[in-house]
Amino acid sequence: MEISEVKKLAEMLMFKLSDEEAQEIIEEFKTFDRQLALLDKIDTEAVDEMIFPFDVKTSFLRDDEADHILSQDDVLKNVAKTKQGHVVVPKVVR
Amino acid sequence: MDIRTLEEMPISERKAYALKKVKGLQDKLNASITIIEDDEVKADGKLMGIPVALKDNISTKGIKTTAASDILDNYVPVYDATIVKKLKEAGAIFVSKTSMDELAMGGTNRTANIGPCHNPYDLDRITGGSSGGSAALVAAGAVPLAIGSDTGDSVRKPAAYCGIVGVKPSYGRISRYGIIPYASSLDHVGYFTTNVEDAALALEVLAGRDDLDMTSSYEEVLEYSKLLDANVKGRRLAIFGNVYDAISDSSIKEAFDKIIVSLEDKGAIIKKVYFDGDLMKCLFPTYFIIANAEATANHSNLDGVRFGHRIDGDSMEDVMMATRTRGFSSFIKKRFVIGSYSLFEENQERLLKKAQRVRRLIVEAVLNELKEVDALLAPASGSIAPRLDDPSSDELSDEYLIAENHMVIGNFGGLPSMTLPMGFKDDLPIGINITCNAFKEEEMFDIALAIEDITGLKGHVKEVL
Amino acid sequence: MEYEIIVGLEIHTELNTKTKMFSGAPYHFKAEANTCTNEVDLAHPGTLPCVNHEAVKKAIELCTALDLSIDPLVRFDRKNYYYSDLPKGYQITQQFHPIGKDGKLQIDDDGIKKIIRIDRIHMEEDTAKQFHLYDETLIDFNRAGVPLVEIVSKPDIRSGKEAALYVEKLRQTLTYLDVSCAKMEEGSMRCDVNISLRPKGSDVFGTKVEIKNLNSIANIKDAIEYEANRQKEILDDGGHIDQETRRFDEKTMTTVTMRKKEGSVDYKFFPEPNIFPILISQEEIDHIVSEMPELPDVKEHRYIEVYGLSTYDASQLIANKELALYFDEMMKSSIDPKAACNILVSELVGQLTKRGEDITSTKVQAKDLARLVELISKGDISSKQGKEVLSVMLDGDDPDKIIEERGLKQLSDTSAIEKLVEEVLDENPTSIEDYKNGKDRALGFLVGQLMKKSKGQANPKMASDMLKDKLAKR
Repeated sequence: MEISEVKKLAEMLMFKLSDEEAQEIIEEFKTFDRQLALLDKIDTEAVDEMIFPFDVKTSFLRDDEADHILSQDDVLKNVAKTKQGHVVVPKVVR
Repeated sequence: MDIRTLEEMPISERKAYALKKVKGLQDKLNASITIIEDDEVKADGKLMGIPVALKDNISTKGIKTTAASDILDNYVPVYDATIVKKLKEAGAIFVSKTSMDELAMGGTNRTANIGPCHNPYDLDRITGGSSGGSAALVAAGAVPLAIGSDTGDSVRKPAAYCGIVGVKPSYGRISRYGIIPYASSLDHVGYFTTNVEDAALALEVLAGRDDLDMTSSYEEVLEYSKLLDANVKGRRLAIFGNVYDAISDSSIKEAFDKIIVSLEDKGAIIKKVYFDGDLMKCLFPTYFIIANAEATANHSNLDGVRFGHRIDGDSMEDVMMATRTRGFSSFIKKRFVIGSYSLFEENQERLLKKAQRVRRLIVEAVLNELKEVDALLAPASGSIAPRLDDPSSDELSDEYLIAENHMVIGNFGGLPSMTLPMGFKDDLPIGINITCNAFKEEEMFDIALAIEDITGLKGHVKEVL
Repeated sequence: MEYEIIVGLEIHTELNTKTKMFSGAPYHFKAEANTCTNEVDLAHPGTLPCVNHEAVKKAIELCTALDLSIDPLVRFDRKNYYYSDLPKGYQITQQFHPIGKDGKLQIDDDGIKKIIRIDRIHMEEDTAKQFHLYDETLIDFNRAGVPLVEIVSKPDIRSGKEAALYVEKLRQTLTYLDVSCAKMEEGSMRCDVNISLRPKGSDVFGTKVEIKNLNSIANIKDAIEYEANRQKEILDDGGHIDQETRRFDEKTMTTVTMRKKEGSVDYKFFPEPNIFPILISQEEIDHIVSEMPELPDVKEHRYIEVYGLSTYDASQLIANKELALYFDEMMKSSIDPKAACNILVSELVGQLTKRGEDITSTKVQAKDLARLVELISKGDISSKQGKEVLSVMLDGDDPDKIIEERGLKQLSDTSAIEKLVEEVLDENPTSIEDYKNGKDRALGFLVGQLMKKSKGQANPKMASDMLKDKLAKR
């Protein structure tokens, strides 16, 4: 894996990496690969993925009744920039 | 400090007592991110006037909640986590938002954005993590109860390193609503106390169905503290052989053996069990893949748009990029890159899905054994708390892969699991871990009480001078 | 070369629920910015999703109406991407196990019926609304988390017209079920078009172009027609079609490139760990289906077969759900369906239009209009009087009261009319003579005289019948 590849992976996650950080990740991937080899040894033929700690099914669904709403003040309390009740970000390029 | 002792103190003095301790310890332990001075008793209840510390990934309305990350260093929640509401209703007083590994993604508490948390027994050693600050405050006798969260062993490992009781109940036993997540399918709310009775009482307050968390359980919440029974006659207990064998430190094994012998003397039926060795070597990689994959998605909301420490930029994309680049430490970025790598469509089969399948095999193997016995026992760790400047361990050795990561089984299968002190090595605490069948917390507390009777370490705390 | 146009549609429509898909925050389309959200919609740290029961019910109804097989185990997945209108940085959707699979919708293209197959229907959540200004973007999170279903058709559509018919039919189904308001103009229903061309007779699909965010049925039709032509010209010139996403420009009536596809985007889908699989029991599904409103096709069929309405009349009623429901309400009184339809479609709707009202806002209650039909057909008032009564009913009074107040009630008392008949005959011996000599006009004259005597209140049919009867006896 190249530094540029790792940096691209990071940018897809919306952050940048320094060369050192990218290099560390490359090293980490080497350890990771060896740990993966341990997984490869396990026969998982016909084994379903375990998504949840238990194989439970629920039947609970929320009633369609408004139970909780935030005031506009609370919505905007943690927002860095606001205008007329809206959250403001610089123009979206995409 | 335990709840009983505190209750002998007038209510009005309990908070002052705890606050004084919390503040006094801050220079030495660096255990608090925010110290809460103005909290008041809300009602009477099981924890009336009892000071409690909360890990800083627990949402507290009006009180800064950072998860020890720069990206949230100015975030003040507008809502309370369900457990915060429950604790308030029970009369608890909050005195500290405690230090943790950044976003709970670590096991040392060295990665907190405010710097590492120090072990009360030796300030040059780690507390373990990620719930290190909570562990340190309980271990140093500042509060009798502190809440943490446990995704791999983030309550149980620091409990072992700090010589206290650390409980991670069954998945769904305590609502996760309002806990800043690490990995949703592995995350549990857990907590620290200095003794088993307090641990049982705390669960009565914290547990219960919450419609805001669709994974929370309808299982009845028992009066665990009233049901405690230290009689282990006829209890079937299994020693986790793979873990025992992977530990090289003989003094830890000896301490463990002593407890086992005493349990046997009290009538417990003991056997040693072994799981497939190759499967056990997969505990860590399986955990690492699943946890980081879920974590990258879970933390995609941290973009500076609606909350958090925004860094300006010329476009929305620039803002997100700059915010996240500044907001996460290198350590977190590393985890995210690896986590998202496992999620790529072309990698999922070999990485995420493979790990999820191995997870099932591990859980099935353990559950199969737990059909025969009431609990699985093992030393919580193969060592005492490492030094703060200790270089990282060999991540491919059995000692690391098995002995240092076995408690993740409790997270894989949602099984109740707890750690309590089993003694000391070089004056530093070591812990024993108990893992039971899902929703058998009552049995787990009974076994823990028997061990507590053996060790005599009930309520033990370390005075930090 | 001759080409076949291959079109598939992906339609997103907001479900008509009171609260969000995964939170208990209410939603009103016209609410002030950021006043219809809670911490879940904003993805504040630590929040968790909780599935809306009503949304699931509505999705099940829609699947039933469109003949999809329902997966009773409801599961959700995460679709990961970063965008300022997507609070969590992922959308919760149903990638791997959609609630419904393999359905169909029948369209009627000038009498030719055609089945458009539906590939899948899945539930998901809407994004926030963004307003792009000169140098900044304003975000309103009210819409974030509103329940959506995505309805994905198979590539069975062959023209812009078919696409328009399909969307119209779908819209009608959605509104009849009360599953969605399906208002394209308000953005509560949005349409993406996938279109490719292939030589007639070929069974290989060509390169697909996606046209995003079409906001009216007319635009869907126009965009497909323009795009098909554009692709045809390229292919005819020996060129090849780029796989890309385009949008429709209403001003120029053309499609323009939004972005070229460089491979497909990897959304890193994986199962949502915060929602355990939800098992919907067969009893519950049966119950939901049994409570479903009548579908437009079934209703139309009933109007024609049971009520004996003409195809035209039935389609007039069906075209407007509110009108059809009003008609159904009228028919709760046992009245003549044809007369009921006429007075509703020709009279009431006409008068409402003149007043700038419509069937949803009118003060005329269905049961009162039904009563009016009854009064006319019993002969209590004439149909001409009926119109007069209706015009007063528009302000909210009931017909009996109006007739009473205005003294409009027809004289249907036999003995009273008989008395008038005798008087008229006594006064007009010449007309009797004319009638007997076969001059039919004489009867009309006599009826006229009688009506005059009764000041217009006599029931004309009764008067006429009785006159004939008496004339025969003289």
